[in-house]
Amino acid sequence: MSRLSKILAWLFIAFWALTALAPQLIAPGDPLAINPAQAFQAPGSEHVFGTDESGRDIYTRVIHGAGDSLFIGLAATAVGMGLAIVLGTLAAMAPRWLDGIILRVLEALYSIPSLLLALLIIAFTGPGVGPAIIAVGLSTAPGYARLVRSQIRTLKNSEMLEAATVLGRGTWLKIRNHLVPNALKPLLALVTLGIGQAVIWAAALSFLGLGTPPPAPEWGAMLSAGRTYLHLAWWMSLFPGLAIVVVAAGATLIGRALGGKARTI
Amino acid sequence: MSTESHPSRQEPAPLLTVSNLSVSFGADVAVQDVSFTLSAGRALALVGESGSGKSVTARSLLGLSGGTVTAKTLRICGHDGLALRDREWQGIRGNAVSMILQDALTALDPLRPVGREIGDALKVHGSNSRAERHARVIEILQRVHMPDPELRARQRSTELSGGMRQRALIAQALIGNPQVVIADEATTALDSKLAALVLEQLRELKEQGRAVLMISHDLAQVAHLADEIAVMRRGKIVEHGTAARVLEDPQHEYTRTLLRAVPSGIPRFVPLSASSAHAAPAAAAVNAEDPTLALRAHNLGKSFGSHQAVDSVSFELPRGTTLGIVGESGSGKTTTARIVLGLQKPDSGQVQLLGRDFAPGKESERRELRRAMGAIYQNPLGSFDPRYTAGQLLTDALSEGKSKRADGGYRDGVEQLLEQVELDPALASRNPRELSGGQRQRLAIARALAPKPAVLVLDEPVSALDVSIQATVLDLLDRIQQETGTSYLFISHDLSVIEHMSDRVAVMTRGRIVEQADTAQIFGDPQHEYTKSLLSAMPRLR
Repeated sequence: MSRLSKILAWLFIAFWALTALAPQLIAPGDPLAINPAQAFQAPGSEHVFGTDESGRDIYTRVIHGAGDSLFIGLAATAVGMGLAIVLGTLAAMAPRWLDGIILRVLEALYSIPSLLLALLIIAFTGPGVGPAIIAVGLSTAPGYARLVRSQIRTLKNSEMLEAATVLGRGTWLKIRNHLVPNALKPLLALVTLGIGQAVIWAAALSFLGLGTPPPAPEWGAMLSAGRTYLHLAWWMSLFPGLAIVVVAAGATLIGRALGGKARTI
Repeated sequence: MSTESHPSRQEPAPLLTVSNLSVSFGADVAVQDVSFTLSAGRALALVGESGSGKSVTARSLLGLSGGTVTAKTLRICGHDGLALRDREWQGIRGNAVSMILQDALTALDPLRPVGREIGDALKVHGSNSRAERHARVIEILQRVHMPDPELRARQRSTELSGGMRQRALIAQALIGNPQVVIADEATTALDSKLAALVLEQLRELKEQGRAVLMISHDLAQVAHLADEIAVMRRGKIVEHGTAARVLEDPQHEYTRTLLRAVPSGIPRFVPLSASSAHAAPAAAAVNAEDPTLALRAHNLGKSFGSHQAVDSVSFELPRGTTLGIVGESGSGKTTTARIVLGLQKPDSGQVQLLGRDFAPGKESERRELRRAMGAIYQNPLGSFDPRYTAGQLLTDALSEGKSKRADGGYRDGVEQLLEQVELDPALASRNPRELSGGQRQRLAIARALAPKPAVLVLDEPVSALDVSIQATVLDLLDRIQQETGTSYLFISHDLSVIEHMSDRVAVMTRGRIVEQADTAQIFGDPQHEYTKSLLSAMPRLR
C-alpha cells in the first residue's frame, strides 16, 4: 500500500468506528423521533438526506444505523472465523478418519449457498440480531475452515514445526504458538474482505425482515421500508443503500490491498 | 562471429580484456576498477565471499549485470562490450561466452527431454534442421562423457542421476561452441564426487583451448585448475597472481584469511579464523573418558517403498566427542539424523540417548529427554517461526514455549546465549531475516543450546555458508564443545569439514555405513573402496 492509501484506509476505519461507537457526535438528533408534519421531505438544507414516511431524519438514522450493521458484520465474521479456527485446526491435526468426517461436513455446508444457509438457520431460531450474527457466522465458517485446515497442514510439515518438536514442545503449544498465528496471518486479508460481505448479508437478512426488527435504524431494514415508497421518496432507499455500498467496497479495497501485501491468496 | 570454427590453440590475443570495470546499482558500487585478461587455454579464478562482486563481474561479461557498467576496456572475443546492444549480446551469449549454471535440478525444465533443452540454444540462432540439431546434441553429450547419450537425450531431467544432470548442464553451456566458459559457483552445492566431475570437465575445456573463468568462494575448489587467481573483496581485486604464488605466498591479509579458513588438514580445535579468540588446542577439555555414551544407534533401518534409505546403521557417540557422518547426497545421512531426532519412525533398530531409550517411542514419553538433544539445520531460517525476533526465539526456547515476551524474566538468559555464540546482544530485537547467513546459524546454535543439551545433531550446518564464514562457525562449535562437553553428531557431504571437526568418522553410501573409524585412520589409511574414491575426489590445498 502506498502512504496515501494507507492514510485513507485508516481514515475510513476511524470514521466508521466513530460512527458506530458515538453516532450522536456526528448526528445529534434522535433517530426514532417521529414528526408526521415533516414526512417525505426531499433532501434539502433542513434534512440533508430527507425524511421518511413518519418524518424521521434519514441522515440521523443512517448514522445511528452504522452501529448495528457494522456490529452484525464484525461479530458474524468473528463467529465464523472462531469456528473455522477450531474446526480447521482440528481437521488438520486429527487422524485421517476424523479429518475426513470434518471435511465432508464442511464440504456439504459449503455446497449450500451461504445466504440460504443463513435463512435456514433463522428458520429454526427466529429473527433478531443474535440469530442474524450466528446465521451469517455459521454460513461463512465452512469456507474459512477449509483455508485454515490447508494452511495448518502445510505448516505442520515445515522445518519450523520439526524444530519445535525437537525442542520438546507438545501439540497444544505448537498449535497455540506457531500453527494458528502463522496460519491466520495470510487469512487476515480474506477476513477483511469477509467483513464487507457479512455487512451485506446482515443487511439482506434485515431487508427480508429477519434481522434487526423495525423501527430500529438498520440499513437493510431502512432499505426495505423505503422500497414501498420508491416512486415518491427515492432518498429513503438511496442513502442506506449507499452506506452499505461504501462500507462493503471500503472493506473490500482494504482487504485486497492487504492481500497484495501478503501475496498468499 | 567465429561460432563454428573451433577455438584455436595458438590464438595470441586475449579473449577477454577487462580494465577498470565498475558496476554500480544506483548509489551502490558493486564492482570497482576490476582489471584482468584471459587468454584461450587458460583458467582464471575469481575468489571472494558473497557480496564481493565476483558474480556481478562475471555477469557483466554476458551483459547481464543489471547495473550501470563503466570500464576503460571491455573486450569480449573481439567485441566491444560497452557498445553492444541487447540483440548483439544475444549473439554473444552461449556462442562466444557461456555460463555453466549452478543448480542442475532447477536449471533444467523437468517436463522436457534433456536433449531438447540442450538443443534449444541452436534453434535461437539456427538455420539448422531438427536432425542436425539432434546430431549436434549427441556429439556434445559424448564430449561431456554422458553415458548412453542417445537414451539420455530422450529422458527428462528428473530421470537422470545428479552426475548426469551436471553433465547435461555443461553440455548446455557448450552447445554453442563458446570460446569462454564461465563457471559461477558451479561446484559449490555439490558433494565432492560431483564437484570433482565438474572440475574434470572444466579441465578438459581448458585443454581444448577454451578460456575458463571460475567464480568461487572456496580457494580449495579452484586450487588445482586455475592458472591465475584473483581475490576479490568489497568489489575490488585485492590480490592477483599465478595460482601457485597466491596459494603459497599470499601477500594480502584477506587472502591469508581465506586460505586459513579451508578446514582440510587442520587438526581438531585449531581455529580456522583469526577472530576466534580461544587459545591453544592441545589440552582439549573434552572428556572422552566418561563411560556413558551420549548417543547410541543400533541397527537402524528405514525404507520408503522399495527404496532402502537407511540399512542396518549402527554407531556410538561417546560423551564430549564428535562423530562425523559423511556421504554423497542421497546416501541416507539425513534420514539417519531424522531417526535419531525422533522425527522419523524407523522400520527397525533403536536409538538410546544418555543410556535411555529414545527412538522409536511415544512422543509424550520422551518429551523430557528431548531437552538433552538439540538440532541444527542447513537452513536455520526455515526452522524459525517467521513472526519471532531473535530475542523472542531465544525467550521461547528458554521458557519452553511459555513466553516470547522480550522483557520477561528471561532477558539475562537471552543475553548470555547471544554472548555464548558471539552475537551482539543488540541483535535480539532483529528479525532473523535481517541477519546474515552466519549470524542466523549462530542464532540457531544459541537456541539449540538453551536447554543445555548433551547432544547436538548438526545436519549440514555450514554447507550454505561461504568458506570464511564457515570457518568462524566451526570455530564457535569447537569452542562450545570444549566449554560445555556437548557431543556432536556432525553430518556433512564436505570431507574437509568432517576431517577438521570429527574424532570418529562414519562413511555412508546407499543407506549403509561402509567404514567407521578414527578420523586419522579414515583419512590416512582408508580401507573401503568407496572411502578411497571419495577421498580421491576431495579438493586439497595442503
